[in-house]
Order: sequence, then structure tokens, then C-alpha cells
Amino acid sequence: MKKKLLALLLAMTMVMALVACGGNGNQKGNNNQNTEPPKQEDNTQTPEPAPAPTGASEITLWTYPIGKWGDEATVKALTDAFTAETGIAVKVDYLAYADGDDKVNTALTAGGAPDLIMEGPERLVANWGANGHMVDLSDMFDDTDMAEINAVNEGVMKSCTHTNGAIYEYPLVMTAHCMAVNLNAFKEAGADQYLDLDTHTWTTDDFIKAVEALYAKYGQTVGAVFCAGQGGDQGTRALVNNLYGGTFTNAEHTAYTWDDPLNVKALEQLKAMDGIEFDASLAGGDEIAKFYQGALKMAFCWNIAQQMDPNGAGTGAEKTVTGDDIAFMSFPSEDGSSKLQGGTWGFGIFDNGDEARIEAAKQFIKFMCDSEHTVDAVKAASYFAVRTTAEGTDLSNIWADEPIMAEYTKLMPYLGDYYQVTTGWAAARTAWWNMLQAVGTGDDVAAAVAAGAAEANAAAAG
Amino acid sequence: MAKQTQSKMSRALQRRENIAGYVFMLPSLVFFLGFVIIPMFICIITSLTNTNMHDPGLFGGFIGLKNFADLANDKVFLKGLVNTFVIVLVSVPAVCAFSLWVSSAIYKLKGPILSAFRCIFYLPVVTGSVAVTVVWKWMYDNYTGILNSALTSTGILEKGINWLGDPKTALWCIIVILFTTSVGQPIVLYVSALGNVDQTLVEAAQVDGATDLQVFWKIKWAQMMPTTLYILVITTINSFQCFALIQLLTQGGPNHATDTVMYYIYYTAFKLTEQAGHFGYANAMGVVLAIFIGALSALQFKLAKEK
Amino acid sequence: MKIENPRSRAYKIVSMIILVILAILFLFPLYWIITGAFKPAADIYAQEPVLWPTEWVSKNFENLFNKRTAPLFSIFGIEGPTAPAAFRWLINTVFMSVASMLLTCLTAAMAGYALAKKRFVGRAILFSLIVCAMALPKQVILIPLLKEMAALKLYDSLWAVIFPTVGWPFGVFLMKQFSESIPGEILEATRIDGASEAKTFVTVVLPMVKPGIGALAIFTFINCWNDYFMQLVMLPSGQNFTMPLGIATLQAETSVDMGLLMAGAALAALPIIAVFLLFQKYFTQGITMGAVKG
Repeated sequence: MKKKLLALLLAMTMVMALVACGGNGNQKGNNNQNTEPPKQEDNTQTPEPAPAPTGASEITLWTYPIGKWGDEATVKALTDAFTAETGIAVKVDYLAYADGDDKVNTALTAGGAPDLIMEGPERLVANWGANGHMVDLSDMFDDTDMAEINAVNEGVMKSCTHTNGAIYEYPLVMTAHCMAVNLNAFKEAGADQYLDLDTHTWTTDDFIKAVEALYAKYGQTVGAVFCAGQGGDQGTRALVNNLYGGTFTNAEHTAYTWDDPLNVKALEQLKAMDGIEFDASLAGGDEIAKFYQGALKMAFCWNIAQQMDPNGAGTGAEKTVTGDDIAFMSFPSEDGSSKLQGGTWGFGIFDNGDEARIEAAKQFIKFMCDSEHTVDAVKAASYFAVRTTAEGTDLSNIWADEPIMAEYTKLMPYLGDYYQVTTGWAAARTAWWNMLQAVGTGDDVAAAVAAGAAEANAAAAG
Repeated sequence: MAKQTQSKMSRALQRRENIAGYVFMLPSLVFFLGFVIIPMFICIITSLTNTNMHDPGLFGGFIGLKNFADLANDKVFLKGLVNTFVIVLVSVPAVCAFSLWVSSAIYKLKGPILSAFRCIFYLPVVTGSVAVTVVWKWMYDNYTGILNSALTSTGILEKGINWLGDPKTALWCIIVILFTTSVGQPIVLYVSALGNVDQTLVEAAQVDGATDLQVFWKIKWAQMMPTTLYILVITTINSFQCFALIQLLTQGGPNHATDTVMYYIYYTAFKLTEQAGHFGYANAMGVVLAIFIGALSALQFKLAKEK
Repeated sequence: MKIENPRSRAYKIVSMIILVILAILFLFPLYWIITGAFKPAADIYAQEPVLWPTEWVSKNFENLFNKRTAPLFSIFGIEGPTAPAAFRWLINTVFMSVASMLLTCLTAAMAGYALAKKRFVGRAILFSLIVCAMALPKQVILIPLLKEMAALKLYDSLWAVIFPTVGWPFGVFLMKQFSESIPGEILEATRIDGASEAKTFVTVVLPMVKPGIGALAIFTFINCWNDYFMQLVMLPSGQNFTMPLGIATLQAETSVDMGLLMAGAALAALPIIAVFLLFQKYFTQGITMGAVKG
């Protein structure tokens, strides 16, 4: 027995020894991602004395595909400009919405999170920020910055600020999410009479009649309430909420209210409509593809970046693959004035416990979000700037020579409440698309909605 | 006296065997203990704690068997457990039966034709599970997939089926893909096993007037028992590795119809949900799964010994 | 030769027809990958599937190569020239699979021999551990393994995928079964001749278990080439991606551009299919020889 134990112990020591060697040998080839000190949790452990900020020579950035921020050539031009000015190299990796979150969580667990991450408050503030993984960026905002941002929209800073007062995201761009219709198909089906292409709005009745006309013409699914996952779920939320004026959260962002009977009514309406299908095989991106392909005649996951470059396919603005015209529309509501879901995107910094790298990351944010280079950074995202001016550069007219962008500003006044920072957001959105799947498979709507909202509220209560 | 010398000698011999045995085992043990057994121990310990992603340290607070109690009430987990066993219990016998039939149909064919068939059935294995999954996703597509197009244009179906979006079909779609990537190796094995069956026994039986079917079951099947057991083992292992299919096709949906325990562990650990990073809970699932699999392996080997 | 009775003849014809249909069905995904990789956008996005490309184009591969770039290799901090990331992924995959294969074969051959022929203390316990752990999916030990790799500073390196593969005990099991057949008298004879343990292993044991090693090598290589899960968890940076991970990420980014995805899938599948077809004989021999002793 003793011998066995001894042998086991011996073997274990050998594992450690061998593997440690392997590690060292390998480290060099590994860029300095691995040489970072293990992550320290600032709230639970006394942080080790931070190394003197000698200036980091390389930082890492992970970006979700926000406009052309998912395109290597575009991003490289931006980071090269930054490197030229500061001497700090930027190593960029590109995340996808389908598995990007998992990768960030895995990296956080392994202590290999990037220095910078680009996404919206629903992740940066409500999740990673709330869980203590992010650096508070409050010291980067002075009164001028605040004034410049608030002049565009007062909700932006609110969404980037956690309830504890810390700012976990430095915003760069924003937009309103909308939906899109295939104009040629609508015309063929005689449904274009229901669209107001001047104001880009329509009513619930218009929408119902239009779907009827389309179904009569094509005899197949014309619009999909996609629910394979959370991708693009702002579209399905906006559709359901606006149809009869339901809400998703209360105004104080303390509880989820989507068991609102008005939402149940909307879901029952959608479920009953021929031509509208609850499709658990599609997520937002897939729906866009089907719309771009012409299979679906309307898309609920749309915004200006899609309008400029449908499906990211590079086949021309406002056109499907077969050349049909695409019109962007507000979501239908009873009186036509809908509350659109906003999107704010910007940068956050993961707390890797290395002051020098945090400092370098802040330099990067300043460079992209508040300098003469901001114009390029905003244009790369093909959304609207969140501020009027950046260190003297006027940003209000950067899209003046772009008629589609100008036309799209008609929708911006409909921007609704940014409720994606409500506590328990991640659980709530998961419960949402699970609820849509349940409704799609024929579960009782009211019961499914009640169960989902209860799950969300359990998470909101903590 | 003589006895003593003998026992001394045998002790020396035993020591020699011990040393030699462990020296030969060492390289393998390093990896096995380091990357399977030690993590498994940590897994068992953390399953009794509330360890999570957001607190530092390997172990959180000890909470006894609470995670397991919660699991027993977790509908998604139970559904996943059922799905996991449906996948294994359907695909393993199906793969064995199918490959046995294909092999018995092709093993007497001429060389080039035989190897052509063998190749074709083996191709999905070498194509790679991710590549296969990606192409099947396109084929299953609800709107523009070839499957629906073929079935509706030939009049077999009136309206296309939303293969991956319908809880009634989604799990079967996954099993089909798993099946196509699993039969390659068993077919190769059975073909050669059938070729190696002792012909004198077969002929003797035929002289005695046995029918083809009798010859097959009484003689060939009995001789192929070791091959069958090997196939059972590798197919079972294979069936538990269906993570890629689920992550890339359905992410556990629709309505948890394709959730497996393996996927739910990953989901609980790293998907951005409220319970994300709930490592203690995820590890408890791992422990439950490990117990089931251990029992399954033990059963298989008991059967193997009884052959 | 025997005269076949009509019933078994009919059975043969029917089963042949079914086989041919099955073969076509099994070939179809591969056909769909290859044609899809060369279809122009109009065919890819057509609402009715296009069975044969209206025109063979290389655009999908161009898109794939232009989408991401990475240094062609990086060894000890020296980085190769910037190239399409897909090539780097291919190199990574080959490196990972070959390294896992070599390490597994070496360690498993030694351990299998010890388990089969050495009556050392603890042998039975070790063997039952190995049997129990064999079917264990990696997800079970996912979190501890990730933390272990982070502590060993192997996270985001290919070794984090290779080492657990080598640790997976199926190889040891297979080689143990195989080594059982080595006649004890031969080992005894070499020992009496005064050969050392190492010499016995190299000159006597290895040649006798060679077919088993062949089977294991093929099994490990293909498993590694097909694995996706460990890579997804352990390899976050684009330049450490493997082919499966690269394609999966492309799908996640654009579940839409099927042409691009098929180009990626083709690039991942065709090299190994070529290897398989070239060495088909050894593949099937290797697989079957390993199992005769199963």
C-alpha cells in the first residue's frame, strides 16, 4: 500500500515537473498573452503592489462584429494609426456573437482575458462589469465629455454606468434597431400600400394586412420570429412589445414586466398569423441571411449598418442578393409611433491587474473615442457617433454626404428606453428566447410568458 | 530454509517487477494522472462547493450535497440526461447493426468494389466532424436546404419540415449526423473480421445442412464477438463526443430538445447566462455523468468477460 | 461452385441496390462541400438549391484567405511571414494531431506492455481506473482542466489540447489488449540472454505490437483532427486556431456565407481525405489489426 502511494506521489511530481518545463519552453512562442500575471480580484484580495507603469508595449483587443469592426483590414488601419502615434502594438482577435461570450468567460476563468473589449453595456456593464471583472473608467470623463455625449442622447451615459456608479464602458457609437421589408415583394403582393416610406412607420393593422397580402401571394413563411439563441433578440423584443404597447421592464429597471397581457396578446396574434413562423432554427444573423436571400420578405433584426451593406455581403446598399429593394421600417405599433431598441457600443477594459496595460488600454480608448481619429472609428462601425464633438472635431455631420444615413436619422427620435442593464439581464434574455421556443412549439402563450418572466424576475431579485 | 530463500527471491523478483512496471507506466501515468485523474478529483471536490467564476481561488464554500439536490430538480438537466442516453442507446445499437449488415453484404465483393464501398462509408469520418456539421446544417435548412427541397419537389412532403427548429425532429437530425460519422470504422472492422472467419467451420456446418442464417449466427457471429465488443466500446465513446454537433447546430434548443449533459455542463460554465460560471454546479453534473458512464463501462466489460 | 438459389439471388440484388443508394447518401455531404466551395454567390443564395455550380469560381477561397491573416508560424518568439490565417490553422492542426499521435503511441505502448506483462503492485487498480475513465467525455473535467492549464501557463497554446489527448487512457487499454498476445516464453528467453528491460522492449515487444501501434496512431490522429471541444475552450487567439475551430468561428460569424464556409470545410477535409485515399490500405490494415485482439 505504501509503495503504491509512493509511486503515485512520484508520478504526480513528475507531471508537475514535466509540464512546467513544457510551459516555459512554450511561453516564448506564445506572444505575451501568457506572461500576464494571474488576474487579481480587486474586491476580495489585497492586490499585490502593482508594477510601476513603465508603459506596456502590446495590448490585446477582442471585438465583436460591430459594423466593420469585425473586418480585419478596417480594424488594422485603425490600430496601425494608434501604434504609429503611441508605439503600442495592438493584437486583435475577432469574436462572433454565437460563441464570443463563452470565449470571454473561458478566458476570464483562465486569467487570459484581453485588455480591451468592444461591445455594448448589456455585456460590459450588466455582466462582466457587475461581476467585478472590469476597470472603472469614470476618471476618463470630464464635464466636457459628459456634455458632448449628453447633447446627443442622455440615455447613453446612463446605460454605460453601473448602479454602483462605476462606468464600465466608454461609448463610441449608437443606433436604433429597426426592421426591414423587401419592397419588390411587397409591391408584387400589393402590400406596399401599408408602408409609409416617407416616415418609415406603420401601424399594427397595416402590418397584419401586409402579412396577409404577402401570404396570399407567396403561400409560405414571410417573416420569422427567430429564437435559436440570443443573437438579434432585440428585434423580437421590439416586435412583440410594440405591437400592442407592452413593456419589457419597468421604468426603474428593477423588474421584468413582459408578462404584461399586452405582450401575451401580441404573441398570440403573431402565433395565429399565417406567414409568421416561430423558428427555433434561426438566430438574428440567420434571419438576415434568409431575408437577404429573398426567402423571407421581412427582417426583424435590422439597423443602419445592415441597410448600408445588407448581410455584410458587399453587394451594394439597400439591395438583396437578387437586386430587390430593401426599405427599413420602424416596428409596427397601434398608433405608428414605436419605441425602438437602442444599441450603444464602445470599449471596456478587463482588470488584468497590470497598471501599465490598463493605462495603455485607456490611451487606446481615448484615441478611438475622443480624438481627431474618432471620425474613422465611428465610420468603421457605420453607426452614429455618441457625441457631438471629439476634442474639437465636429462629429455631428460626418454622415452628411451619405443620404441613407441621413434618411435613417428619421428613426432616431423613436429611440426608446435602454433597459438592457436591468439586473439579471443575461437570465432574462435567455428566458425570453426560450419562451419564444416554447410558444413556437405550441405551449400555452400566457403560461409560457408567465413562466419566463418569473424566471427573469427571480434573476432580477438576485 | 529453502522456503525463506524462495520468498526472498520472489520478493526481489516482485521488486524488480514493480520497478520495471512503474518505469514503463511512468510516461503514460504522468499524462493520465495529470490531465484526467487530478482534474477528476478536483471536479468531485468542487461539486460539493459553490465555486464560481467570479470569486478567485480553486474552491468556494463547502455546501455539501446541495448541488446534487438542485440537479435532481433541474428540469433542463434531467431532460439533458434523458437526451444523452437516447443518443447513446439509439446510436450504438444502430451503428453496430448497420455496419454488420453493410459488411456482410460487401465482404465477398471483388477487391476494388469492396474498397470503394469501404472508402465511401469511411469518408465522413475523415471529413471531420465540424466540416460535416456545417454542411449538414446547410442541408437541413428550413428555407433553402436541399433536404426540404428534394422532399417537397418529389412530392413526399407537402410542406418542408423545420428539421432543426422542431423539437420532434431536432434530436434525430443530430443522431443521423452522428451515425454517418460513426459507421466507418465498424464497417472496416467487420469486413475484415468476416474475412477471417474460420472457413473450415463454415464448410463443416454447411455439409451438416445448416442454412446461411444459421451459419451466420452460430459460427460467424460467435467468432466475431471480440470485434463486436471493440466496436461497442469505440462507438459508445464516440457517441459521448457529440458536443460539436450540438454547439454548432442547435445550442441545445429548441425548447431543450437537444440538450445533453455534456452541453449543459459547458452551457452552465461559460455561456453568458445568469448562472454562468457556476462551476460547482457544473462539476456536480460532471460527477453524475461520470458515475453513469463508469457504470456503463463496467457493464460492458462484465459482458466482455462473460463472452 | 455452388448454384445460388433464386431467393438469395434476389436478396443480393436488392441489398446491392440499397447499398448503392446508401453510398450516394454518404457521399452527398462531401459532394455538397466541394461543389459549394466553388459555387458563385448567385448559386449559394439561390432559393432552390443548385445541384451543379453554374460556374466554377475561386471567389469563396479568395474570401476565405482574405478574411483573416496570421503569421504563418511562430516558434520561440520568431514569427513567420503574414499569410492567410487558414494556412496557419492547417499547420496548427497538423502539428497538434501529429504531436498527440506520437506522444500517445509512445506512452501507450510502454504502459500497455507494463500492464499486460509486468505483475507490479497496483496494476489491477490502475487498469480499472483506465477502463472507467475511457468513455469519460472531456466536458466532465472541463473546468479543473482549464484552471490547471492556466496555472501551468499552457492556456492558449496547442499543448493545452495535446496533453489531455495523450492522457486519455483509451490508447493504454488498446495496447494492453494487444500486448497480452506476446508469448511469455520469448520475454523469458530474452531475459535469460541478459537483455535489459529497455532492450527487450525495443527489440522484442515493439515489433510484436507494431500493428496495434498503427491502429492507435490512426485512431488518435483522426480523433485529434476531428476534435473541436478542447480547442474551443483552450485556444482563444486566432493565430492558435485549428481548422475545425476556424470553420466553427467562421460559421458563428457568418452563418450566412455558405460559400465561404464550404471553402473552409473543403480546405479542412481535402488534405486528410487525400492522405486517407493514398494510404487507404494501411488505414484499413491498421484499424483491423488493432481490433483482431480487441
